[in-house]
Amino acid sequence: MKAFVSASALLALGLSAPALARPVSYEGGWTAIAEHDRSMSAIWGHYTPHHRYSIGYRGEWHRDDDHVFHGAQLTWLAKRWFGADYQANIYLSGAAGLAYGVDGNPAGAGPAGSVGIMADWETRRWFVSYMARSFAGDTTGASAMQAARAGFAPYVANYGALHTWLMVQVEHSPEADEPVGVTPLIRFFQGPVLAEIGWSVTEDTPFFQLQYRF
Amino acid sequence: MSVRNITLALALSVLPVLAISAPVLAQDEALHESQLTPAMQEALVGGGSLVVVDVLGAVCDFCALAMTRTFERRDEVAAATVDLDAKTLTFVLHEGQTMDDATITDLIRRAGYQADGISRPEAL
Repeated sequence: MKAFVSASALLALGLSAPALARPVSYEGGWTAIAEHDRSMSAIWGHYTPHHRYSIGYRGEWHRDDDHVFHGAQLTWLAKRWFGADYQANIYLSGAAGLAYGVDGNPAGAGPAGSVGIMADWETRRWFVSYMARSFAGDTTGASAMQAARAGFAPYVANYGALHTWLMVQVEHSPEADEPVGVTPLIRFFQGPVLAEIGWSVTEDTPFFQLQYRF
Repeated sequence: MSVRNITLALALSVLPVLAISAPVLAQDEALHESQLTPAMQEALVGGGSLVVVDVLGAVCDFCALAMTRTFERRDEVAAATVDLDAKTLTFVLHEGQTMDDATITDLIRRAGYQADGISRPEAL
């Protein structure tokens, strides 16, 4: 309960929770995201009513802890820096909803939420990002993770062409069997579709993310 | 018919085509090739006017998508595209339509980006 109260307090401050995806789009735009990493699978559907924030549904399956979460998530683009050749962002996000145990976990349904922060900087050639996220459920317990990513585009493509990025992500999940994970991945990006395919070399598990913006 | 006459006939037959497309071609030459899509070319031939906006922060396809969709939802706009190399948003207004700089700057902001200069075809 204490963990949930802490998360709720942060939510009340207007924070929210992203992974390494950016659901804030143009005004009136929608973003659909599916992601699967070494410890969690998630789906999001977000609408952007204002260019500084988006709101939508987020569902998570915490495979390591055998619980699921369904809730509403708010993502706020707290700051964006513009340059002729770069863009940098700070996002804050938070979700509130319900979590319950699955796959033999006897935890009943209870209120849950998460808070997170993400920062990134990118050019058409280089990409770096960092995110931290904390999850707490009244019946399912608390967890936290952070991740950093660096990427390089071997070639620079114009709008509408296929963009390819080579990236490596390092995750830190203190509660995991392997607290530090390393995931090399390839990002393909073309028009409204962004797809990432990788492999956690730490736990021999696949990684993928698919984003569609419309 | 001599070679000279055949050449003259061919030249005369091509002249009207060149005359019609000359204004568009003149604009094309001042722009990067990828800044004019077929839909924009068609709108220009139909009497539309061209606007080019220098944009800050456009580094990926999601950025480009955000701006093209934001502008193409407007009734005044026939077609739009983004050139990431040139760092520009280019769009064509329907014949007789106008859009002031303040509106353009606001639309860029609503797409999540920042305008850094606006030019019209005659300024190119």
